Amino acid sequence: MSAPNWDEFAELALKRVVASGAEYGDIRLLDSTAQTIRGEDRRIDSIRETQDRGFGIRVLYHGAWGFAASSVLSLEEVPRVAELAIEIAKGSASVASEKVKLADEPVHRDRVVTAPRIDPFAVALERKTALLLETMEYVHRQPGIVRSSASLWARQDRKLFVSTEGSRLEFDLLALSGDFDATAVHDGRFASRSFNTPHLRMGYELIENANFLAEAPRIASQAVEKVKAPTTEPGLYDLVLDPEHLSLTMHESCGHPSELDRALGYEANYAGTSFLTTDKRGTFQYGSPHVNLVADNCEPETLAATGYDDDGVACQRWDIVRDGIFIGYCTNREVAPKIGATRSHGSNRADGWGSVPIVRIANIGLEPGVATLDELLADVKRGIYIEGHGSYSIDQRRYNFQFGGDAFWKIENGKRTHMVRDVVYHGITPEFWGSCDGVADRSHRRRYGFITCGKGQPAQSGWMTHAASHARFRNVNVIGGQAGS
Amino acid sequence: MSATGHKTWPKLTNRDEFRFLADLVLKHSTGDHTLVSLHDQQSGTTRFANNQIVQNVDTRRGSLHVTVAFGLRHGTAGTTDFTAGAVQETVARAVQIAHLSPDDPEYLPPVEPQQYMTPPTTRAETVIAGPARRLEYANEAIGQCRMENLEAAGIVSSSVATVGVAASTGLFAHEERTDARYSLTVQAGEATGWGAAAHRSIDHLRVQERTLTAIEKAKRGLEVRELPQGRYTVILEPAAVAGLWSSLLWTLDAKSYEKGTSAFSSKLGQPIVDKRLTLRNLPAHEDLLGIGFTSDGLPTVASDWISEGRLTQLVYDRFTAKRRGIDTIPTLDAPFLSGGGSSLPTLQELIKGTARAILVTNFWYIRTVNPTDLTLTGMTRDGTFLVENGAIVSAVKNFRFHESPLRVFNRIEAFTSPTEAITSETGKLLVPAMTLRDFNFSSVTRF
Repeated sequence: MSAPNWDEFAELALKRVVASGAEYGDIRLLDSTAQTIRGEDRRIDSIRETQDRGFGIRVLYHGAWGFAASSVLSLEEVPRVAELAIEIAKGSASVASEKVKLADEPVHRDRVVTAPRIDPFAVALERKTALLLETMEYVHRQPGIVRSSASLWARQDRKLFVSTEGSRLEFDLLALSGDFDATAVHDGRFASRSFNTPHLRMGYELIENANFLAEAPRIASQAVEKVKAPTTEPGLYDLVLDPEHLSLTMHESCGHPSELDRALGYEANYAGTSFLTTDKRGTFQYGSPHVNLVADNCEPETLAATGYDDDGVACQRWDIVRDGIFIGYCTNREVAPKIGATRSHGSNRADGWGSVPIVRIANIGLEPGVATLDELLADVKRGIYIEGHGSYSIDQRRYNFQFGGDAFWKIENGKRTHMVRDVVYHGITPEFWGSCDGVADRSHRRRYGFITCGKGQPAQSGWMTHAASHARFRNVNVIGGQAGS
Repeated sequence: MSATGHKTWPKLTNRDEFRFLADLVLKHSTGDHTLVSLHDQQSGTTRFANNQIVQNVDTRRGSLHVTVAFGLRHGTAGTTDFTAGAVQETVARAVQIAHLSPDDPEYLPPVEPQQYMTPPTTRAETVIAGPARRLEYANEAIGQCRMENLEAAGIVSSSVATVGVAASTGLFAHEERTDARYSLTVQAGEATGWGAAAHRSIDHLRVQERTLTAIEKAKRGLEVRELPQGRYTVILEPAAVAGLWSSLLWTLDAKSYEKGTSAFSSKLGQPIVDKRLTLRNLPAHEDLLGIGFTSDGLPTVASDWISEGRLTQLVYDRFTAKRRGIDTIPTLDAPFLSGGGSSLPTLQELIKGTARAILVTNFWYIRTVNPTDLTLTGMTRDGTFLVENGAIVSAVKNFRFHESPLRVFNRIEAFTSPTEAITSETGKLLVPAMTLRDFNFSSVTRF
């Protein structure tokens, strides 16, 4: 069977859109292949490889949106879906009182490709399953371990974006990740410790470099140490947070509130709004002067560095917070003009052909400081060092948050001493970031990605990478993991 | 019946077509066992915010997954392309993966042919609802809010799907499922009010009633006071009760239970909540979203899960069920929580009978903090009020809570009869509104 001619589909769709009198339209055609291998308790539980093909057509008619999509890639279906998108847009327009106006963007014609050193889909399945099985075996060698899991995930997205403005963008992108964890029981309790590679646009070298087998004994041993560790007395502690932990803290307390559609109320019914209202831009003290948060969708290998977003806007780098002051938002072509911006920051993304693009968090990272990790620790008398992700929850305007972690160590008189458990800290976002008094230097910088960032109705999963070096926060309220007992 | 109601909709894969596709798969599979799964859906959502339509979408997505096994080795491949060539390629890929897989000691062949009941999974009015109907409801909500000088944000969605499972054992199941949803957040300055519904029938969303409720909550929120963190008597509306119960239900898996990594370990048969509470699964209930069969092709069943406060059931995978000698695996697709003894007729009656409490419309961002005792955290959202002497006296700033459903549902003061409940983080349940004492609000937020 010959491959479908995507350009032919695009031309067919956009001709109809133009003929309808719509002021703008685009089509995205995608062919995604995902492979997931999951292991559990020393066995391979599932190997799945799925191919997800389809197209979505977006129409802006008299200032109102319509979108229709289908997994049926045929010359009959494309016109039907185009007409449906037009019909829906006309329906939206019939009740619109405020017209959408898109920020200008140059026409782009380009091709963006992830160039892996090792194609993950070319690596033999036996090699991957053997790695996961061996990793779990290593985990179970540690006395006290009762459960384990391990997984590998890879996705390839081949995409064509064509707009009525003349942009034509081709993509051939990869993303990859791997992880494993160990669960220990002790005295009626259980606790897990996990190891995660970042999600990055790399090849299988990401997994090879992660060296699961070397890490497995450490993770297993720390799971046992964690479940046996003493609990934590609630109180005020200085916290030193590792880059993986910070990736989630930044994501929830900086990333989401910096999405302009949230600040404008678009997500009021689901993901929520934002305390970073538009009047605060340029003046609001978001954090201490140590806090510089930069959106960088140009950094190679990161998830949001796709060359262009799903508006066809070129990826960019910009400040979110500079010297502690809130500066900028993540925007798309629709919302950028609402704050007087002449160009979108290029943060409009859909999670597949069947979803309409919405504003998404960029690759927001904490800029490195000048300290070493040892220097950050040395100045802490009573504190906790936190690695990885744990329980997390935040209110719908992103003020009141609570974070746990994956592993915790007591810091006493400048030294990491022993593990503790049941650490949950709570704060109000600008007060928390205001308590940051040190960030480690670039040599400590690590990147972690998310592929399950929930937003939108119907719900979509966003992808982005957050980089940071270790950072220190003073007098944070640790409430303990059994706060309700 | 196939989903051909709306003039622009394509025909979804009907029973005969699925049988044809399944036969094609089975014919080309060389595996000892083969399982085919279909999910073919047409869905649309009209989304609004700031009294404007901001998103209006319609998507048709069909997918077919094939699992092939050789002995204990198995692999799965999926496709969204239903052409014969693509289906054959998918089978070939599943065969290839299975050949390369290691033995899975927990693999079980597909189940034999089953008898299914036919729960009311589809409603014709939802099948034929299209963008125009969704827009009509969205406009109704926006119009009501505009009249009150308030801002509406929400969604109206409707979908129809055909779902099928077939296997080399002769197993065959196919059904049509509809789903309609409405949710609305009304903003009155800083204050918000909320309401939501989900039903098989788009005619049962009660859009006007829920819009007026959300408007009333938002208007009541205009005067807000801040109360300190601490333990309070709470009146949880059904959505808030559903949020806590959903977290409990998600952690009932039998394998974790057996390994000692469950909050319920050693609690099977033991009291875990107030003895007046009984949780059942009722797939045939008209107001729940029950289904006829699971993804394994097993029939859903009416079953007891918590009986007069005692945990009587766990969520079993087929392997663990077989090891435990369980022939009929209970399902939890349509949870129905009820209170025995005397229940009050309405939420208003609960409020009337309360001297002082916090009334909670909904919880948000519920997450597990301590899996050993199932301590959860989350925020109140979109309507949190102080009740004094049987009446709402003001709105209060939202609280964060830290509580375990295993503790708090042993502190029940009063409850209503079960009511429909759905949130953005839960499936649909029927649960009572409840008054609970000593609920731990651990901090307060800024609004």
